[in-house]
Parts: sequence; structure tokens; C-alpha cells
Amino acid sequence: MTAFENDLTLALGPRVSFDPEVLAAYDHDLGEMPRVLTALFACTPQAVAVPRDAAEVAAVLGIAQKYRLPVTPRGQATSGYGGAVPVKAGLVLDVSEMTRVLHIDQAAGTVDVEPGAVWNVLSRELAAHGLDNRITPTSAPSSTVGGWFAMGGVGIGSMQYGSIADAVLEIDVASLDGSITTYRGRDMEPFHQTCGILGVITRLRLACRPATAMRACGALLPSPESLAACLADLRAGRPPYSLSIQSAGYMRLRAQAEGGQAPAESGFLIVAAYPADAPGNSFLAEASARHGGRCVDERVAAHDWENRFYPMRIKKNGPSLLVGEVYLPVAAFPAAWREIEAAVPGELGLEAVATADGRLAMLIYIPDDAKSLLYPLRMPKAMIPLAVAKRHGGSAYSPGLWFARQAKELFGPPKYREVVEMKKRLDPLGLLNPGKITGANVFGLPGFEVSSLIGLAGTLAAPVSRRLAYHRRDLA
Amino acid sequence: MTDTAAPTAAAQMDLTGELIYAMDTCARCGFCKTVCTTYPFGGGFEPLSPRAKVHYLKEVLAGRAELSPAWVDRMYQCTTCERCAEVCQTSIPLVHLWEAARAALVTAGLGPMPAHKKIREFVEKWGNPYGEPSENQALWMLPEHKPAESAELMLFGGCTASYRMPPMLRNGASILQHCDIPYVFAAGKEVCCASPFLRTGQNEVAAKLIRTNLELFAELGVKRIVSPCGGCSKTLKYDYPKWAKKLGLPFTAEVVHFSEMYAGLIKDGRIKPGRVPDMTVTYHDPCHVGRSQGLYDQPRAILAAIPGVRLVEMENVRQSARCCGAGGGVKANYPAMAGEIAKKRVNEALETGAQTLVTMCPFCQTSFDTAIKELGAPIGLIGVDELLLRAIAP
Repeated sequence: MTAFENDLTLALGPRVSFDPEVLAAYDHDLGEMPRVLTALFACTPQAVAVPRDAAEVAAVLGIAQKYRLPVTPRGQATSGYGGAVPVKAGLVLDVSEMTRVLHIDQAAGTVDVEPGAVWNVLSRELAAHGLDNRITPTSAPSSTVGGWFAMGGVGIGSMQYGSIADAVLEIDVASLDGSITTYRGRDMEPFHQTCGILGVITRLRLACRPATAMRACGALLPSPESLAACLADLRAGRPPYSLSIQSAGYMRLRAQAEGGQAPAESGFLIVAAYPADAPGNSFLAEASARHGGRCVDERVAAHDWENRFYPMRIKKNGPSLLVGEVYLPVAAFPAAWREIEAAVPGELGLEAVATADGRLAMLIYIPDDAKSLLYPLRMPKAMIPLAVAKRHGGSAYSPGLWFARQAKELFGPPKYREVVEMKKRLDPLGLLNPGKITGANVFGLPGFEVSSLIGLAGTLAAPVSRRLAYHRRDLA
Repeated sequence: MTDTAAPTAAAQMDLTGELIYAMDTCARCGFCKTVCTTYPFGGGFEPLSPRAKVHYLKEVLAGRAELSPAWVDRMYQCTTCERCAEVCQTSIPLVHLWEAARAALVTAGLGPMPAHKKIREFVEKWGNPYGEPSENQALWMLPEHKPAESAELMLFGGCTASYRMPPMLRNGASILQHCDIPYVFAAGKEVCCASPFLRTGQNEVAAKLIRTNLELFAELGVKRIVSPCGGCSKTLKYDYPKWAKKLGLPFTAEVVHFSEMYAGLIKDGRIKPGRVPDMTVTYHDPCHVGRSQGLYDQPRAILAAIPGVRLVEMENVRQSARCCGAGGGVKANYPAMAGEIAKKRVNEALETGAQTLVTMCPFCQTSFDTAIKELGAPIGLIGVDELLLRAIAP
């Protein structure tokens, strides 16, 4: 046993592993990246540590600093941006066992949790106190509170409550020197969406909402223009708690996966969730009717709401999916969507959530097969929505590893500068989650930054990839 | 022509194309991990999670991973409770996958685990996994029990009920007689339903057992089979038709769990439960009765029909019910883990404040019996059948 292994074992006992078979399970996240890409990095860690509390996180970071070992923090790895995937081996710090609810302040409507707390489990615990999460990701049955803050994003409830950053009031962050510091308000921002490159979050205080039952209602809009206009009306007038959108292609893919019938063969489905005691159906009926839409059967909306955590059902049609994920201003949706549809021929499904600040977080799904030899050549299709979105005032959704070069634009130059400066100060050796946000150089070669290369390859290969049709695997 | 790459290494696993496709749809979302019964016993490390097992199997199929003893062990640390399959985003039939993988491990000489080999020895010698002489199979019967020589209905005792939980069969037979329903019981002829062997991948011995029982059913000419056991009824209902086809034997009998029969008899007015002393109960959904067969309402309908019984539900019920820890060969090979799982469920029952924990499966009942004793838990334990019999007994 090396000195590093010995120190880690002394600190965490059986909750540290150096077993290659165990380590191999940490070399990926939700994304199905081609091996040709992951082979460029040392994705398999040398050790995995599973701390139980903040003190153990700090102890592990101290050991990493002592032995100059890279550290990759990890929640449940339910994002596909590579944020929880090591690129320089080192140590994976898996906080998914740190799940305690530390304190619920019913009067203040806040909850303090450890970073590994799972959203839906937390929701059940809060219910006993008359509270609920303001927003949750669609991966809420498994994803962690700390993980979502570290990756950033919007989800269910974002029409009323904004992004995860808006729901977090305070965080504790463990540093490489073993200290733990509390950050509030604006001071938290550098830690938001930066994948733990500045420290490991050990506690979060969340603002909660009163636990009120929600009722979903739905409407069909005939065109991207009518959809955008309807969304603008709802936002200006009676914004729902949550609002999701599906294209006809998504409805079709979902119906195929569920063995049912799609609610419509063209247009867009809006599903809005209002508090059960509000006349949400009338709000939506009025807004949609003004733009040539019509309400759908309550059961359609209820089914969609009940299955809000299952957007990936459509993967049954793959067996893999190419996914493009972008933010886009609602007003730009009609033109951008027509461009995306024209640029990506074949099966295509859009699922989106609307946010309080007038944007859409769009997921564009393209069925494919990661086992296919042509999969790497078809992958650039997933980059097309980002290129289109950027032309229309949109942006990438999250940087992580694979989109690190988008960080500056996504964060804005001031935040990006602040993050880079803090990185130099807090982690001069670059041990904390290397390669994320600031970029990972292929083979350590300066100028060969992976997300830039992906972007370049995507641009060059897109004209070819869009012509490569995928034919579903024949099971027979 | 397909552009799919061929696996480079060993087709060490003989899995069907359908299962391989299903594995490829894994979204790696980890919903399975958060509900897995045995994952908490893996030290917090990813490999014991269902999603990691799927990933590993894919790696083996692609020739990038080896079937190591540690992984074989992990593949057997699963109670086949089906909670993973219940929450799977892409509806992967995960328990079928685990069973197919275990069968492949057995074929490759890497499985099953030692305790499973032992029960195989027992079943090959005695026809049951407990090593009990078959003449003991009818010891549960009371003098008043009079099975028919011939009847459309067969009472399939199952090994656990017959040899370890006889009250369950006694109650069943008594209720059938109360309703004047003739039944046959093939004392000494019925062999293990094969569930423990199908779940642990020992398909060769399973096939022999299934053949014996299928021939027995044909000989008796039964049209309906009822069993008190979740495992037996699941196996007879879902596995036997497939195996009958494979073995080229006829099997047309309808299979029901006793909960279905009792609920039907109550609905038809043939059972009119009387009042029992007031009691608050909480019901545990056995995995192989609930998730496997979808029988959630029937046991609750029985309880609701008994005046004096008040049902309070646990936090995790119906599709989300926790497992008792006994299934999938876990209790045989990992008894400590199984015991801890059972205690977790008993503690959940205690949180309801119920006086009594009720269930409808001999595996669950024996597991809880031990857990309650070890915990010194202030809660009673009784089968739904026992409660029903008390309510109809003169």
C-alpha cells in the first residue's frame, strides 16, 4: 500500500476503494461518449472515497493536496456533460452517501441538506413540515441537490422560481487546505455551475415553497409562432408553477415508447402545472385560444405531469440518443426551431421547460445507437442546435467538460474572470476537478483543448453527419 | 446491412438480442440505484447498483471486462425484488436480465454461490430445497382436512409453506373447505416449483422440477392451481407457460395466489367475515405478489372486508414496497444481509404504530418472524389468511 493509499484508508476506513473493478464504474456519467473521445483522457480514477460528512470531505481534500492528486467530486453522475468524469485519474470524491437533512426551518421556509440529498427524497421529508422543493430537475428520483447546483440548470417549477441558483441561499464549501467556508448571496455564484473546480460543497441551504398540490392542464398550439406567443402571454399574465413543451416528434417518440397514441401529429403540446386551487385550465385555455390553440383532455396533461421524471422513456426508441441541450429566448423560438428542423433531418424530438426569465431550456433528442460504427460520425448532429441557438441569442446549457469552451459566454465575462482568478488562488496546482470549465487539453498539449476540438469537429462534420441517417437496430 | 460493431470478445454471456437491446437503452439515470434493496450493503460504491451491473454486463459482452469472482458475487447480491425494474426509465426487464445473467454464469461454471449449490443438492435428493423427506409434505394437515381424490382445483403447497410455514396451508385448506370448494393436494408428489433455481440461474435442475410438476398437473387434470406462496404463484403463473412450451408439455391451468381467490370469494359473497377483536394492522406487499403479479388491491380488499381490522399503510407500499430480503437466493447465501433488510422493513412497519404486521407470503413471514424476535419489536405478525380464518371461524 502506498503512503497515499494508507492515509486515505486511515481517514475513511472501508469507505475508500482502490479496487480496479470498483474504479471502472466511475469512468463515465450519463452521457454516451464515443470511446475515441474518452480514450484521450485518464477517465478511470486511482481511488474512490465515499465520505460520510463534511469533516471527512475536508480530510480527503487535505490528503489529495498532500499527494498532489486530482479530485473529481461526484453526486449521482446524472448529467451528461462530463462534470463528474475524471480526466486525470486521481481520486473520485463520491458524496452520494451524504444525504442527511440537517435542519428544516418551517417558519423561514428553508432546509439545510448535505450535498448527496436526493431531490425526491427531500421532497417527501419536507412534506411532513408543510414544505416542498421550489424546483426539481426531471432527474429528481436520483439526482442530488449538490450535484444540480454544481452543474447548474432549470427544471420543474422554473417558470415560477427560476433556476437552481435562485433556490440556494447558502453553501458550505470544503477547500484543499481542509477548511470549510460558508458563502451566501452573490458570493456563492462562482461555485454555481462550475463542477466543484473551486471546492467541494458540503452543505446547502435551500429556499422552499409551501407544499401545495398541483394540477396540470394542457393545450396544443399549431405552430412555433403560436407557441411562442402563447408562452409570452402566460408569462405576462398568469404564469404557471411549471411549464413544459413537447414537439410533435417528441410526442410521437414517447407514444412509441409507451405503446400509446400521441396527443397530436403536429404542433406543440404545452403542459402547465398550477396550484390545484387556481383555475389554471381557464388561464391556459384563454391564452392558447388567442393564438389558435386548443386545450387537451385533462388526462393527457395529467399523464404528462405524472411522468414528468421520465423524459428518457423515448430512449427505448434508440437504443441511444444524441442530445442537444440549449437555452433560447422564447421570442427567438420560431425561427430557431425551423432552422433546427431543417438542419437535422429524420426523427427529432423537442422537450423544453420555460423559465421565469423568458427563456426555454430545450432538449433536442435524436435517436441513434452508440454501438454503431457510424455513431461518432453522426454525433455532430447534436451540436447543430447549439450553433443555431447561438445565432438566435441562445447559449449552451451547461459547460462541464465537453462544453467547457462555452463557459465564458454562458457565465458572462465578469463571472468567468472571477472563477479563473479564484481558481488560481484556491487551487494553484489545478487539483480540483481538472479539465472542467477552464478546459482539458488533449494529451496535455496546449491549444488542443477538447471542447474546442469538439466544437470545431462539430462544425466541420455537421454537413456530413446530417446526411447520415440512422436506421434502428433490427432485433430479429 | 447493419453498421453495428460486432462484439470483439467472448460471447461469455448468452443473452438474447432483446435483452441486449434493452441493456443498450439504459439511460444511466440511477433511478434504480436509489431504490435498490441491496445497494446500501455495497459500502456506498457504485458497482452494487443495478445501473453499474448493466454497464458491466455490456462491457463483458463487448469484451472489455472479465467475469471475475467479485462480479459474480455482486450479480448474486440481488433479491430480485423488481424495485429497479419498477422505476426504470426505459422499462428494462432488469430482473429477467439478472436471471439470464445468472444462468449464463452457471453455464460458464462461475455460479451459483455455495448455498445455492447446497439447495440444489437437497432438491435433487428430496424434491425440495429444505432436504425434508417428501412424506412430511402433508404434515400440516389437520384431521378435518379432506382433499379430494380428483378436483379441478389443486392446492399447490410449495416447499416453504409445506415444511416451514404450515399454518398458511392449514388456513388455506380450512377456508376452501368452509366454502365447500373441492381441491386436490398431491402429498408427496409435488416437487419444488423451481423458483429458487430459476432465480439463481440453475435452469437445468429447474427444468427437471418443472417437468415433474407439469406431468403431475396433467395426470391430475387440474384446471386451476392456487398457492399461498408469492414465489410459487409467480413461477407457476409466468415461468411455467414458457417452460411448458420449451419442454413440449401441455399447461393450460389458471394459476392464482390465495389473495386472488379470497378476494373473489368475498366479492361473490361466499365468504362473509365476522368481527374480530379491534386491531390496527399494516400490510407488507410481498415482492413476488405485488410487483410481480400486480396483486396490491386483493390483500387490502380482504383486510377491508374484516370488521375490526384497521389498515394503516407504511411509507413504502404497493409498487414502492420494500423487500423482506429473502428472495433471489439472498437469504440462503447472504443471511446477514437478508436479516438486515427484513429489520429495515419491520422498522418501517413500527413507524406506522400498527399493532400487527400482516403479509401473504411464507418467505416474507418467516423473514419478519426472525427480524421481530431479533429486534424485540413490539409488533405482532400474522398472515392475512389467518386473520380471514379467524373472521369466518364459528
